[in-house]
Amino acid sequence: MKPKTFSILIWGFMLSTLLSNCGSKIDDSRLVLLPVTSDPTISFRIYFKTGFQDDPAGKEGLAYITAHMLTEAATQNNSYDAIIAKLFPLAADYGASVSAEMTIISGRIHKDNLTAYYPLFTDAILKPAFDEADLNRIKSNLQNHLENELKYASDEELGKAVLYNEIFAGTGYGHLAEGLLSSLKAITIDDIRDFYKQMYNRQNVIVGIGGGYEYALVENLQKDLSKLPAGPENVTHKAVPYDIQGLKVTIVRKNANATAISLGFPINITRDNPDWYALAVANSWFGEHRNSSSHLYQVIREARGLNYGDYSYIENFPNGGRRQFPPVNVARRQQLFEIWIRPVPNETRHFVLRATIRELHNLVESGLTPEQFELTRNFLLKYILHYAPTTMLQLGYAIDDRFYGIDGSHLEKFRAALDSMTVEDVNNAVRKYLQYDNLQIVFVTNDAEQLRDDLINNSPSPIKYATPKPKEVLEDDKQLVNYPLDIQAENVKIVDVQDLFL
Amino acid sequence: MKEHFVGFIFLIGLFLIGQAAEPIFPYKYNVKILGNGLKVILIPLESNGIVAYYSITRTGSRDEWEAGHSGFAHLFEHMMFRGTVKYPGPMYDKIMTELGADANAYTTDDYTCYHLNFAAEDLEKVIEMESDRFMNLKYNEPEFKTETGAVYGEFLKGRVSPWYVLYEKMYDTAFDQHTYKHTTIGFEADVKAMPTMYSFSQSFFKHYYRPENVVLVIAGQLDTVKTLELVHNYYDSWKPGYVAPKITPEPPQTAERSAAVSYSGKTLPLLMVGFKSDAYDPDNRKYVAGLLLEQLAFGENSDLYKRLVLKEQKVEYIGSNFSVNRDPKLNEITAMIKSEADIDYVRDQIYMTLEQFKTEAVDESRLNDLKRHLKYDFLMNLDTPDNVAGKLANFIAITGGIETVDRLYSEMIDITTTDIQEAAQYYCVPEKRTVVILKGVE
Repeated sequence: MKPKTFSILIWGFMLSTLLSNCGSKIDDSRLVLLPVTSDPTISFRIYFKTGFQDDPAGKEGLAYITAHMLTEAATQNNSYDAIIAKLFPLAADYGASVSAEMTIISGRIHKDNLTAYYPLFTDAILKPAFDEADLNRIKSNLQNHLENELKYASDEELGKAVLYNEIFAGTGYGHLAEGLLSSLKAITIDDIRDFYKQMYNRQNVIVGIGGGYEYALVENLQKDLSKLPAGPENVTHKAVPYDIQGLKVTIVRKNANATAISLGFPINITRDNPDWYALAVANSWFGEHRNSSSHLYQVIREARGLNYGDYSYIENFPNGGRRQFPPVNVARRQQLFEIWIRPVPNETRHFVLRATIRELHNLVESGLTPEQFELTRNFLLKYILHYAPTTMLQLGYAIDDRFYGIDGSHLEKFRAALDSMTVEDVNNAVRKYLQYDNLQIVFVTNDAEQLRDDLINNSPSPIKYATPKPKEVLEDDKQLVNYPLDIQAENVKIVDVQDLFL
Repeated sequence: MKEHFVGFIFLIGLFLIGQAAEPIFPYKYNVKILGNGLKVILIPLESNGIVAYYSITRTGSRDEWEAGHSGFAHLFEHMMFRGTVKYPGPMYDKIMTELGADANAYTTDDYTCYHLNFAAEDLEKVIEMESDRFMNLKYNEPEFKTETGAVYGEFLKGRVSPWYVLYEKMYDTAFDQHTYKHTTIGFEADVKAMPTMYSFSQSFFKHYYRPENVVLVIAGQLDTVKTLELVHNYYDSWKPGYVAPKITPEPPQTAERSAAVSYSGKTLPLLMVGFKSDAYDPDNRKYVAGLLLEQLAFGENSDLYKRLVLKEQKVEYIGSNFSVNRDPKLNEITAMIKSEADIDYVRDQIYMTLEQFKTEAVDESRLNDLKRHLKYDFLMNLDTPDNVAGKLANFIAITGGIETVDRLYSEMIDITTTDIQEAAQYYCVPEKRTVVILKGVE
């Protein structure tokens, strides 16, 4: 190497280090790019490494509100109604999503309209106004959500919220993203400014761009987002859930015309672990989301007609009633194995719990048969083609890959793993990660005391169908009616719905 | 929070794109009608090997004209997954599982839609399976009764939402004769009585699941000639025999109606104002202008939204849904109000807004902004075969064809500020109005 060239390189290196330190552009290592030239739109996902686990005690909801004060509020250059008026002819918007460990500011625009959109989008991230009036509006929305909608308008979502809050009580995961009714009141504009300054910094950002963009856009965004403040990376400990011993039951008492049931337990596996794919096959067979191939669905809905559906999960799956496929960018380091039983007639609630736990017991003890495994593997090989049909979703997956440290593409690895997997791999994963002795169970129902007594006394739960059932179902029911569940009185808790999320 | 009505809003997004001379729909398509009356619309698209397959059955809760049978179209949607002689339920499920298809169905007031997304290599299998269940559905009485239990579970699940309670009350109040009086899920008494209706279910299938009443839309990676050949092979033997339902037209409303309804949980009060509309008709200029009026008066960029939601913060939510239906239905405006004391105020603000649209021409630039919005909204949301077929389904169900899209489009781009004014004057009058207020009880 000639000395001159060497010195240029050294100088170049020093210059780039200097520029990087000055923050003149976001480092290339923080880019997630997904060019799709045939796509006439451009998708943005700006990921900040913060989430509701970073809410200070007494200020639960702060991460959620801060993000929405960027995307549903004024900037220093425009009032919120002016932003709406400017976005409207573009048929575009941008939004925020806040989960336990991730905050995403996302937006999508037709490339014809990029010039008009870009300053609005970047202003939202870089120049929030933090107006009091916007804060009041956002708080009011959240208060209504916690006080009315979640408690009364969706018992299924209520049951899931209580399940997570119980299992993660005392950890950063142990409250809703939307916070608590008391903490919402306590959050001030200054709290939001401080949180923004602390978390929305250059060390916490990953910049995702996808679709039919020109490379100059990437450079502009790198340059513009370098105006984010400097600051330390947000390093947090993984949430450690409590060690569930036995069958723990929380009954949410309310005037309910049907009973929603959720149950689960923490699992020590995330999708970066090679075993995850085998466990995903077992889970798909047992409870594929909103799919009649789900075994639980077959037992509870198809054979017995007791409800609308029954599913299971090995990753957090919020708003399951409104989506068919797994969500992106709700990644977390600590996951649950979760079962969602859609509302059942109140008089069948004990029976359905027995059936659910019996099926889980059978899964853990017996695993999948080779036929069940083959069927499920073939199903998933094609079904996962539907997970990310759009650039926006593909970008979401790519960012989740970054979160989990997956080298390459999770969905491609999933397909490759399916190709080489055996039924033994699946059943080993089941035995390693799943169990049925230690569960947190949540009911949302009426007449809670009766349920508690039924559970702790292991009372028979005879079932009377309004419609005739095949002989094999009735035979099976004879076992289920008295299927023993070891639920101790001290492990059953009743809470009134109005006492939640205070 | 805001999601309750977003599904309705996109519908009018279909119709504005580009300039007058350009067709609205950017993809080429083929239409073929088989000898038995089955219409097939093929839309080849670049799609990474995925095909969307929609069987649009032009029967919905509108067609439930016999007393005591509300909710039946939706129940029947469930029955269609119960198998045939050739592929009994469990085998049908197993094959669908092997295909890894994203398969589901939904029912609306005007139609029932069965839709699948799957790998292009499985097209023939899907055509075989779909044609088989539409021609040869077979289930026994116990299976029928079991499925009615799942439907009642779905009813109970939906009933916890105050929006559902409000909607049900609105239609029960606004309609006397027409079947739009009941919601798609049906009256509770009828849903509870479903287990006794096995033989009715069979006549329902015989009357409505006929080729003349179904439109197939196949979009995605496909060879048009080969696909048509397969459709012929599998559907040609389907016998026609559609029997039209005896739906009683709704007499014109002559005076304002109102109702109050309570919700057994806790909720902020809800207000719904409905105005009788016309049937979907792209040649009816007033009707088409009404669709634009909705966005201008009550959309997110409207003055009313900005005043009530952003500035005064008296409502959590305000939205609207103007009718795109086979028969005259309702143009709805809905609000969730933060305080009971403000219900009258919000209602009056809605009326004042409409008065303003009647007496003053809307700003030309706002109308142009709306047209631009609709153009890009349309363009940005045709990104998968499923979105393409899904966006067309409602209009194909109402008219029986895809051509209406261009017709409505050409009418919409001609709409002037005067048309908007005349639509407000025509539709938004007290004698066509029904007002329902919902309050929580806890």
